[in-house]
Amino acid sequence: MRSYFLLLFFIVFGSAMQAQETAMSTSEIASFKEKVVASAKNTQTIKSDFTQYKHLDFLADDVKTSGKMVFKAPNLVKWEYTNPYKYSVIFKEDQLLINDGGTKSKVDIGNSKLFKKLNQLIVNSVKGNMFSDADFTVSFFKSPKYNKAVFIPKDKKIAGYIASFELLFNKDDAQVYEVKMVEPSQDFTRIIFSNRVLNSTINDSAFSN
Amino acid sequence: MIRLLAISFFSIFIFSSCALKTTEGLRQVHFNEITVENPYFSNAKIDYVYKAKIEVYRKNFGGILIIKKIAADNHRIVFTTEFGSKLFDFQFEGDTFTKHFVVEDMDKKFIVNILKEDFKILVNESAKVLAVYESKNQRIYKTESGDRFNFYFLDETSEQLEKIVNTSKTKEKVTIDYNSADGKIADTISIKHNNIKLKIDLEKFKKQ
Repeated sequence: MRSYFLLLFFIVFGSAMQAQETAMSTSEIASFKEKVVASAKNTQTIKSDFTQYKHLDFLADDVKTSGKMVFKAPNLVKWEYTNPYKYSVIFKEDQLLINDGGTKSKVDIGNSKLFKKLNQLIVNSVKGNMFSDADFTVSFFKSPKYNKAVFIPKDKKIAGYIASFELLFNKDDAQVYEVKMVEPSQDFTRIIFSNRVLNSTINDSAFSN
Repeated sequence: MIRLLAISFFSIFIFSSCALKTTEGLRQVHFNEITVENPYFSNAKIDYVYKAKIEVYRKNFGGILIIKKIAADNHRIVFTTEFGSKLFDFQFEGDTFTKHFVVEDMDKKFIVNILKEDFKILVNESAKVLAVYESKNQRIYKTESGDRFNFYFLDETSEQLEKIVNTSKTKEKVTIDYNSADGKIADTISIKHNNIKLKIDLEKFKKQ
């Protein structure tokens, strides 16, 4: 009897969870976009912790890594893993500056269109402002907890790597708090931001390895 | 006399360059073992996750190597960037090799073949013993794999697998060094190629 109730509970609760998320109306999309663009415009710097979960279907647990992210407008990003290993990447103009546990290297992305696109994606998804990107078909969803934008690449080459790209936004300040990248195989990477600090003073020297 | 000395040195040089370095100075012994085991990727309950550092022709790149035994004689091997995007996804099921995914820049026969051969040695759990050698503190098992040989170096007292050397008849091709605290999980693995400038260093994720 008790397990019966439990089952009932899960059916009701489960369907309620699904019903939570609905597509936005045209006017909702317009006001949501406006809010995100305004918020991104006012964002000069971001400091945040993040936790990354790599989900592979055949694994018992997701692969968990974590670290810190620093952003400075217009396009400086330092992405630093601190646990369980040290690895950082600085996105600077047409270069990636990598420090892999003390081994430093540089990657020129100037002539790789795909890499440039992926790089741009990272910078724009940190800011949340990527709705004007002509390379994606975007759809919008809402729930009591979050607003969600789903990006599906139009370019076949990018679609070979990314089936979709999802950004979850806080309802109140229109900041991105979760990024999810789904692969064509349906395996995915989730990055969840926490302890976000906006518009603190960050020197350019923070973007060196 | 000097000429004789020169000839003998010369012949030593010739002969030693023909003989396989791996078994040099070792004495061959009688053996009862039928197979030699590699325990490091043999537990289906464990997600084996390693930080990888690869040095190829003086270029460095890194990533995350994930190995999972999904059934008996069946391993999945996935390599991703630190950001999580897949670079390759292979499966070894018995003698069948399946390439589920390889990122375009890496999808070259020459590269895939090297990776395939390396990982085959890594996940192969058991091999038939052809000969056994002994050194001061190691027992060395010679096994066969296609037209190559694999020499398994085990510590004589702990019986822990410390090294595998992959060779042709005359030359060492790949050396895999293991470091393990408990003999069940490798904490670090170093794969070094002798004929190409390729080195792969793996370090097990620490428990968080």
